Amino acid sequence: MLQKLSILVIEDEKSICDFITKTLNAQNYKTTSAHTGKDGLAILTSALPDLVLLDLGLPDMDGLDIIQQTRRWSSLPIIVISARTQEREKVAALDAGADDYITKPFGTDELLARIRTAIRHSNKIMTDSMNNNRPYSAKGLTVDFDKRLVTVDGNEIHLTRVEYKIVSMLAKNSGKVITYSSLIDQVWGPYADDNNRILRVNMANIRRKLEKNPGEPVYIFTELGIGYRMIEDENIE
Amino acid sequence: MKGLNRKGKESPQIFPASGEELRKMHQRDCLIFFLTLVSTTAAAFIFRGMVANPDVNITMFYTLGIFLVARYTSGYVWGLLFAILSVLSVNFFFTYPYSTFNLTLEGYPITFAAMFLIYMVTSAMTTDMKRQASVLASQEKELMEAQKEKMRANLLRAVSHDLRTPLTGIIGNSGSYLKMEDSLTDEEKRGIVQNIESDANWLLNMVENLLSVTRINNETASVNKSLEPVDEVMSSAVVRFRKRFPEALINVFLPEDLIMVMMDPTLIEQVIINILQNAQVHSHSALPIELRAYEDREHVWFSIKDYGVGIDEKKIDTIFDGEGYRSSEDVKVDGYKGMGIGLSICKTIIMAHGGDIVARNHGEGSEFLFYLPKETEE
Repeated sequence: MLQKLSILVIEDEKSICDFITKTLNAQNYKTTSAHTGKDGLAILTSALPDLVLLDLGLPDMDGLDIIQQTRRWSSLPIIVISARTQEREKVAALDAGADDYITKPFGTDELLARIRTAIRHSNKIMTDSMNNNRPYSAKGLTVDFDKRLVTVDGNEIHLTRVEYKIVSMLAKNSGKVITYSSLIDQVWGPYADDNNRILRVNMANIRRKLEKNPGEPVYIFTELGIGYRMIEDENIE
Repeated sequence: MKGLNRKGKESPQIFPASGEELRKMHQRDCLIFFLTLVSTTAAAFIFRGMVANPDVNITMFYTLGIFLVARYTSGYVWGLLFAILSVLSVNFFFTYPYSTFNLTLEGYPITFAAMFLIYMVTSAMTTDMKRQASVLASQEKELMEAQKEKMRANLLRAVSHDLRTPLTGIIGNSGSYLKMEDSLTDEEKRGIVQNIESDANWLLNMVENLLSVTRINNETASVNKSLEPVDEVMSSAVVRFRKRFPEALINVFLPEDLIMVMMDPTLIEQVIINILQNAQVHSHSALPIELRAYEDREHVWFSIKDYGVGIDEKKIDTIFDGEGYRSSEDVKVDGYKGMGIGLSICKTIIMAHGGDIVARNHGEGSEFLFYLPKETEE
C-alpha cells in the first residue's frame, strides 16, 4: 500500500484514545485524534479521513449529530464506539448512517477486524458494482448471488424466497451488523409491520437449515436488541 | 395488586397526603357522591314509572348507592351524608304525599329509622373493610421494601468485596512492573501483564453484571420487555460465554419449535452467562454442561445442568442471597470468587421478570432452573 489509510478517532477519554491510536499506528494506519465533537467535525471536514471511529458519549455534543451532519455530504465509513448497555443508542446511530459499532471494552483484534470490514465495504461501493455480485463464502457456507444458490460444505440448501433475501442481504454486508428494521425494510418493504416477529421466525428457520449446531452458530450471530451479523467473507482481497 | 396499592394511597390515615393531593381527593369524592346520588334517584324515578308497587325496590336502589359511595370515597363522611340524603329523598320523592317531607305517617318513622340504621351499618362496614385492605396492602409493600433493601445491602457488600480483589491484583502487578522493570525477565513481565489482563477481565465481568441491575426500574422493580425468541438469547449467551472460556464443554438443546417470550434479552443473556460461568468455574463437571429450554402452558423454562460436585446442601437455600462469602472458611478453598454476586443478580433479574429461579442437586451434579411467565405483548 503506497498511501496509508487515514483514520480519525473522536474520543474524549485520553487513555482509550492513546491505546487506539497506538494500535492503529502500529498497523500502518495514519491516525488523527480529536477529544471533542467540535474538533472532530472540524478535522473531518478539512482532513477528509478514510474512516472515523466515533465515541457516542462526547462531552460537548451528541455523537448522533456528528453522524447526521457527516452523512449530509459524505458516505465515508463511520464506526461507533459505545458501551454494552446502550442498545437504543446503537440502533439510533446505525439508523442515522453509522456503518458499524464496537462495544467497549474491545480488544485490538476486534477493532482491526471492524475497520477492515468497514473499509472493504466502502471500497466496494466506490469501485465496480460488478464486484458486488462476487459469491460470498466463509467456513463452508457459500452464497452465489447470480444463481441465487446457497450451499453448506457443497450441499445445496433449500431456502424460501424470503429466507434467501435475508441471507443474501446479510452476506452482501458480511462482517457488519444489520439492524432488524433495515432487514425488514429490505425484505418486506418500507410499509411492513413494525413487529419483527416474522423476521425472527424466518431467522430461526434459516439457522436450522444453515447451522450444524444452531445453539452455537458459526455463520449468523445475534446482536441482542440490535440485529444480526454474518461472519466476514473469506475472499477479501 | 395494583388496585390495592392505589387504595392505600387514598387513605389519609396510612399515607399522609399533601395538601394538593387532599384537595384533589376531596374533589373526586364529592364528584362520586353527587353522581351516585343523582343516578340513583334518576334510576328510582324511572323504575317507579315502570312498576306498580316500587317502594321496597326503591329502597334497594339507595342501599346499592350507599355501598358504592362507601366503597369508592375515603372516610365515613360521604357514606353518612349519603345515608341521610337517601332517607330524606325516599321520604320526599317516593312516599305519599310526594314532593313534601312527611315524618308523621303511621309506621313510617320506624321504617325510616330501620333504613337509616341499615345505611349506617353498611357504610361503616364498607369503610372498615377498605381500611383493612389498605393496611394489608401497605404491610405487603413494607415487606417488599424490606426485601429490596436486604438485596441492595447484600449487593453492596458483595461488590465491595468482589471489586477489591481484582483491583488489588491490578494495582499490585502494575506497581511492581513499574518499580522493577529493569530487573524483571521478559517471562516475568509477561506473567505480570497476563495477571493484570485476567483481573481486568474479571472486573469487567463484574461491572457488566452491576450495569445490568441498573436496567431494572427501581420504583416498580420491573424491566423493559419485548417479545424475543428463546433460541437467539441462548445462542448469544453461549457465544459470549465462549469468549471467556473457549475450551468449555457445553451442549445446547434448543427448543424444537420457535418459542417467543416477553423479556429484556440482554438481562436474560446475562443470567444464562452467570450460571454457565458458575458451573464452569465451580462445578468441576465431568460431562459437558447442558443448557436447554422448554415450555409448558404458562411458562418458559431454562435449565443449566452440570455433572460436577453439586451444591452444598447447607447453602442451597441461600445461594441466591449474595451471602455466600460471609460465613466463608470453606469458601476460600476453591478460590470461590464472586459466585454470590452473580447469582444474586440472576435472582434479581428473574424476579423483575415475574419469574423465579431455583438451584438443586440432581444426584450427579447440580441444576439451575428458572422460568419466565408467558404473557402477551401489550
